[in-house]
Amino acid sequence: MKIAVCIKPVPDPNHYNKITVNPETKLLERKGIPMVINPVDKNAIEAALQLKEQAGGKVVLVSMAPPDAREKLTEGLAMGADEAFLLSDRAFAGSDTLATARVLAAGLKKIGGFDLILAGAESADSGTSHIPSQLGELMGLPHLNHLIELNLEAASLKMKTKIEYGYAEYEGNLPMVLGVAKEINKPRYTTLMGVVAARNKPFTIWGLDELELDPASTGLAGSPTQPGELHLPRHGRKAELLEGEPGDIAGKIVAILRAAGVLV
Amino acid sequence: MPERLGAVWVIAELTGNRLTEVSLELLGKARALAAQGGGSHTSAVLMGNDTGSLAEELIVHGADRVFLIEDPRLALYQNDLHAFVLADLIKKHHPEIVLFAASYCGSELSATVAARLGTGLAAHCTDLRIDDRGELVQVVPAFGGTVLGDIFCRETRPRMASVKPGIFPKPEREATRTGEVIKETAAVLEGYKSPLKAVRIVRRQPPELPLEKAPAVVAGGWGVGAEGWHFLEKLAGELGGAVGCTRPALDEGWAQSEDALIGTSGKTVRPRIYLGFGISGSAHHIVGMKDSGVVININQDPDAPVFRISDYGAVADAKEFLPVLLEKIREHKEE
Amino acid sequence: MLRHSENQVLLRKVVRDFVEQEIAPMAHKIDEEDTCPVELFQKTAQLGFNGVFVPAEYGGAGLGYTEMAIVLEEIGRHSAGLAVGLVAHYMGVYAIMTWGSDEQKQKYLPLLCSGSFGGLSITEPGGGSDFAGQKTIGQPVGGEWILNGRKCFITNSHCMGVNVLTARTGEDDKGRPQISAFIIEGDTPGHKPGRKEKKAGLRGSYTGEIILDNVRLPQENLLGKPGDGAKIGLGTLGEMGRGGTAAAALGIVRGCLEESVKYAKERIIYGKPLAKLTNIQFLIAQNRTDYEAARLLTYNAAGMKDAGKPCASELSIAKYFVVETAVKAAKRTMDLMGGYGVISDYPVNRYLRDAVAAIPACGTSHIMQVIIAGGELRK
Repeated sequence: MKIAVCIKPVPDPNHYNKITVNPETKLLERKGIPMVINPVDKNAIEAALQLKEQAGGKVVLVSMAPPDAREKLTEGLAMGADEAFLLSDRAFAGSDTLATARVLAAGLKKIGGFDLILAGAESADSGTSHIPSQLGELMGLPHLNHLIELNLEAASLKMKTKIEYGYAEYEGNLPMVLGVAKEINKPRYTTLMGVVAARNKPFTIWGLDELELDPASTGLAGSPTQPGELHLPRHGRKAELLEGEPGDIAGKIVAILRAAGVLV
Repeated sequence: MPERLGAVWVIAELTGNRLTEVSLELLGKARALAAQGGGSHTSAVLMGNDTGSLAEELIVHGADRVFLIEDPRLALYQNDLHAFVLADLIKKHHPEIVLFAASYCGSELSATVAARLGTGLAAHCTDLRIDDRGELVQVVPAFGGTVLGDIFCRETRPRMASVKPGIFPKPEREATRTGEVIKETAAVLEGYKSPLKAVRIVRRQPPELPLEKAPAVVAGGWGVGAEGWHFLEKLAGELGGAVGCTRPALDEGWAQSEDALIGTSGKTVRPRIYLGFGISGSAHHIVGMKDSGVVININQDPDAPVFRISDYGAVADAKEFLPVLLEKIREHKEE
Repeated sequence: MLRHSENQVLLRKVVRDFVEQEIAPMAHKIDEEDTCPVELFQKTAQLGFNGVFVPAEYGGAGLGYTEMAIVLEEIGRHSAGLAVGLVAHYMGVYAIMTWGSDEQKQKYLPLLCSGSFGGLSITEPGGGSDFAGQKTIGQPVGGEWILNGRKCFITNSHCMGVNVLTARTGEDDKGRPQISAFIIEGDTPGHKPGRKEKKAGLRGSYTGEIILDNVRLPQENLLGKPGDGAKIGLGTLGEMGRGGTAAAALGIVRGCLEESVKYAKERIIYGKPLAKLTNIQFLIAQNRTDYEAARLLTYNAAGMKDAGKPCASELSIAKYFVVETAVKAAKRTMDLMGGYGVISDYPVNRYLRDAVAAIPACGTSHIMQVIIAGGELRK
């Protein structure tokens, strides 16, 4: 079974409070924030490794990212994936989700032969959750997102996806594109043996030319959406500090609750 | 592109045999966008089986027209079937703007249709408006809500956006409103054999008072601790409200279920009053409660970011302060 | 300039991921309850920590002493007690790897890499540094060895899987005591734990007595040749134990640095963070400088060991400096935190107890000074 896992390096979500917008340049300031594999993408790698343990085969990582993403893919190889492809080109910069899905689809088609394509349900940075569905459409394969359970029996899959207050059950056949939610599993820890093995695994970098993509179909030029200005949320609260003994503060809160009409 | 301005569409979403609240919230925004010149009028799309009676509900909440597609094949949501029908309908009627619920299914359906039509989609919009050049400005959160960005879709049509529940207010019901119900068919599915099969949907009984409808939300974070959690439930009971939580409190297992999670990967709430305890105020959480009426926060750390987005704050240990507040409320009720 | 390779950086990250998720949350509890979470040792084995420097053919990760120091620093950052348990294990592993026969290596190293606790038993009630004065006896009887005696202050005493132990096996030609080393499996009849010590610090690993009551061992359990005990015991302490203890204590120093920065930023005093006060900045600067110096000494010595260079002095210097620095850094950080430094809600008082408890491990600071001076005076 040949399984692809699409992963994305993102700034570490534990540091998002430090991200801000420069009021003059209007550009994002995120200096010093380390990059990590998008957390739920690790669940996708884990799901792939479990399927490989069950059915045999190979796990291939694919990422569209700048060249310095190599280290993040190596981390995925250390976790247990067999091979990695980094799709990297200046022409890909500014891609929205649809243009990103085009690049990933081109890479996956060029590698070829996948029985299953997995991705994290959403990225921590932009959080659209579009990629699994859009990739499925561009690959011409059935797809589901927010998977919380996945069972492989021969070539057929039994799946559960997350919905509000519950889940939906599906059946389908390979090949498919699936976006996994973090509930699906707990990603394994990487072993030191995995770290040792990672750098000897095949690693390929492809750009626009290797993927034979039209520059007009990727990057900013190929994106149906265009980003405008960035801004910071405005909260406009008065931030009045209630002071005194706990009892006094509680009294003031009771008055506020009454004024708001939740306490008669 | 057609010469005439198309409509603003809302894709109605069903839970069981009811419309979701967010479908109605979207209708209010759709009407506002149409009024700002974003579209000729407001239409809703209702796909399902035996759901025709809900069309009226959409009209009294703001739809001028309802496209009704009833077909047994649409009885359960399934992305390929629904996307086929919807993409076909969009190609036929050329809407300007299409709004989706950013629910699990709505997010998936919107992404699928956008890829089929090759058009732009903005996810989890926190604001939508038409600017003075007539462009649709779609405001989306990034980095867990720390930063907001404007998104445009200048070339392709329709422009599509998804919105989470609770972002826009639900419009008042106008019982006298009239509208047109247009029956469409799922004929596009003839001969299509889906590679997928939706087997069933299993839903827990939603809580009696869903968090997003509660007039008062009592939210707890890391600072409450396992031992203080029951105070939150008691307080919510006193106020006729519901308990919400942050991600760390959910991960610790203090909150009963994910239904209580407020923020990026959870609910968006806008209660009349929000009372936060032991919450530091990460961007992930703030994005889910910032539009609440009055915001009060109790935290031990005087420098907690949460105080900057509060109307009132007090520096105290949440688990020690909660019983004091409960006692004060009891005294008040006895008076 | 001391620089880690990309692989060492990645290795540190994967170790840290594990430590932050699995060890940090239990560090306070194992200190408070004074227990050793033996099941955790199975998990670290699966991840390759237990045999980090053991060749892959024996079930190890096939890495070196720098990587071992990284593992110990990362664990020591949150639980120096657990890190020191791992150091004791590494000593047993090192002794067998360095002086064992092919058969011994094939038999014991895979066990030790896959979850069995190792250890090194030298010290006796009469003292640890009086190596030649040890009273545990190994007698050759009918082609076997019979061991009797008592070892104390042995780390992993109560969870020992494979023990490397020294005993007096006779006298040499000049009438001096002949000390030999043995490999004893933990469940060998007559090999049992005795008293379990209650330690002031470095809780999270067991330290206690090993009692030998007519333990019968076949010839193949002799490690090295008769009389190799000093070479093996002191060599393991010197070349492995001290470098390992330095790395574990380096974790304490980093803990002090990180906790002091965190506290200084969060604690508001007179309406502003503590960090705005110059005298507080002096303390943080000292913690940072101490960490830098301790780090350089630890990894330089480990790098020399990896390169096969003589480094007994450098390892002793690292052990002496890093452990003493950890004591000072923990005391300094407690000063910075005032009353909060003393209460158990904050980990820094544990760091101080751990640092102090690390002083006697593998030789006290005074012994280290004697070794370091000896190295200079012989030049």
